[in-house]
Amino acid sequence: MEENKNTYDAIVIGSGMSGGWAAKEFCEKGLKTLLLERGRDVQHIKDYPTTSMLPWEFKHRGQVPFEVAKDNPVITRCYAFKEDAMHFFVKDTEHPYVQEKPFDWIRGYQVGGKSIMWARQTQRWSDFDFDGPARDGFAVDWPIRYKDLAPWYSYVEKFAGISGNKDGLDTLPDGEFLPPWELTCVENHFKGIISQNYNDRHVIYARCAHVTKPEPIHIEQGRGQCQARNLCQRGCPFGGYFNANSTTIPWAQKTGNLTMRTHAVVHSIIYDEVKGKATGVRIIDANTKQATEYFAPVIFVNAGAVNTNLILLNSTSKRFPNGLGNDSGLMGKYFAFHNYRARITAKYEGMLDSKTEGSRATGAYIPRFRNVKKQETDFLRGYATTFNANRGGRGGGNADGLFGEELKGKLMDTSGPMGPWNVGSQCMGETIPKETNYVNLDNNKKDEWGMPLINFSVVFDDNDEKMIKDFMEQYTEMYTKAGFTDIKTSDSKQAPGLDIHEMGGVRMGNDPKTSLLNAWNQLHSCPNVFVTDGACMTSTSTQNPSLTYMALTARAANHAVELLKKREL
Amino acid sequence: MNRRTAIRNVVIIGAGATLLPACKMTDKGSIPLKNLSITGSEQSMLEELCEAIIPKTKNFTGAKELKSHEFLLTMIDDCTSPEDQKKFMDGLKAFDKLSHDKFGQIFTGYTPEQKKSLLSDIEKGKEVSDDVLNFYRTVKRYTIQSFTSSKQYMIDIRKYKMAPGPIFSGCVPVKSIS
Repeated sequence: MEENKNTYDAIVIGSGMSGGWAAKEFCEKGLKTLLLERGRDVQHIKDYPTTSMLPWEFKHRGQVPFEVAKDNPVITRCYAFKEDAMHFFVKDTEHPYVQEKPFDWIRGYQVGGKSIMWARQTQRWSDFDFDGPARDGFAVDWPIRYKDLAPWYSYVEKFAGISGNKDGLDTLPDGEFLPPWELTCVENHFKGIISQNYNDRHVIYARCAHVTKPEPIHIEQGRGQCQARNLCQRGCPFGGYFNANSTTIPWAQKTGNLTMRTHAVVHSIIYDEVKGKATGVRIIDANTKQATEYFAPVIFVNAGAVNTNLILLNSTSKRFPNGLGNDSGLMGKYFAFHNYRARITAKYEGMLDSKTEGSRATGAYIPRFRNVKKQETDFLRGYATTFNANRGGRGGGNADGLFGEELKGKLMDTSGPMGPWNVGSQCMGETIPKETNYVNLDNNKKDEWGMPLINFSVVFDDNDEKMIKDFMEQYTEMYTKAGFTDIKTSDSKQAPGLDIHEMGGVRMGNDPKTSLLNAWNQLHSCPNVFVTDGACMTSTSTQNPSLTYMALTARAANHAVELLKKREL
Repeated sequence: MNRRTAIRNVVIIGAGATLLPACKMTDKGSIPLKNLSITGSEQSMLEELCEAIIPKTKNFTGAKELKSHEFLLTMIDDCTSPEDQKKFMDGLKAFDKLSHDKFGQIFTGYTPEQKKSLLSDIEKGKEVSDDVLNFYRTVKRYTIQSFTSSKQYMIDIRKYKMAPGPIFSGCVPVKSIS
């Protein structure tokens, strides 16, 4: 009886960026779907408590209280962990983990996961990215190429709403774009200088998941035009950017096929030794600590890269003593991330007769130009870069020595000249997955739900150091050519993880001896279990990865439905 | 209840009764604070000091109206380290003493000219201790923050719009500013 009541056509673990997509695809295809979420429910608009708060309404004007920062050093390092969005992030003290080597693990345990607070940059991969491991001899060959994913990129872009410009670059394929915002004068100036001086470097508009002009599909989702509030991390009352809460999950709910189970900490996936496949999922209720089992013929693991590794490693059986599908012993290994340590800033004293007006939610982007078509440096791969140029405001200025009406007058005076243009770039480097960079279980330490804690042993390497050096050299040269002054490079020396692009551990590949997942994201040795979040990534390339997770998920979910129809799962 | 306990309770109640008026006389400030211990007169002094830094003018709000002193106490109480809180309190006492030394009374009782004279000395760093300087700069910084993040300042001066709208112009002439 219990089994019947708890049986579904599909189970999706995790309701964030990728899990929301799996749920949407299954529900649309008529599958009764159970969506498991370890955190609380967050309903679009209703559960965005700060979304309409004005700056002066925040008790601490956005600042994180001292005690919170002191007790939670990791999450406090996250740029978006501020008074207005603190409630969407996991505090260190709430869910401890083990750091054999320092790793800043940034988490959001709620319906929608980190899709509520993400940075919304959506660049496609190209074959220069998928070919990387095979050409350069690291990790393993990706079992798919751009042509396999291209239609699914289009599929998710149309639904999510991606603002972009058709740039015609083979390094960053064009997609299904809503209109772009404008680049600023100085961004266009830089674009011109770079195209005059380099034939392989391109300054383009950074594509982003914002509904700049709603199509009928977005109206049908109940979403409206982005108003450029740039308060996205709070959740958007207009549904102006993509998150699971406003888009995929309500869409799945509308079919009547979705069952959402919140406060469900997944303990493990149940493997049936006789049937030779996974039959369900064991959860622990976050509040009551009570265990429950749910059953389905297909299971999608979208718990977020690290927790997906944790769940699979914890899913042990006679057949899989080292974790579900872990015949190769490589699960948790070849864990990687993005190198976000380096930045460059400068000023531009030109174009002082121009400024910008209004607001936008993105900037410019320079796709990877290093080692794209052939190996040309003493390090592997390369980096993509942001580029933003904005004009300093009027007035304000130095308040030293002033008080009373004189000070007040100074603060209120906006007749002074505007500041120069401030320009800056963030390096977004590819890291090389290695066996020695891993996550594993610390079975001596358990959390209050009886789950072993995850341990991190992930570090930067020499390749990353060389890349940072090259970024600083190349961008100093590029900035100099553009006439920028006061050029400053910096290395934050931050730990891996703060990029919030953790990837790998359950990588895709052709050979079950050296990879965990096949070309359709199925575990080689337990093919009714799919992994389509960051854990599946064979290599990292440089692009912000969420768009690729969405496309991989939609593709794998539709494949799973085909297999179910053919009774092949 | 046995007799002994009953007598002890009477004694305790009696002690409480005599303590109650004493509690009132400790002059506790009205702003709820977790870490700082601020008296009512210190609170009033801060209110006056903030107003002296950013006064209300004819058409524009000032520190007293904005309750900048409450904001600054809340910020120091919630968002700074115990060491910084101690430094602030040391500075506050030193400032009180300085006010007394200079014009023989607390800052709250100063005339506008006296306030101006003291603040001018501090701004110039004239024979002022580090404690006082640190205290004054802290008060000034939070008063400015309270003012520049206020509704009237952000809307009237900074033309703040929560939802600027979809139109962004990447390049317009500066002279078009209104």
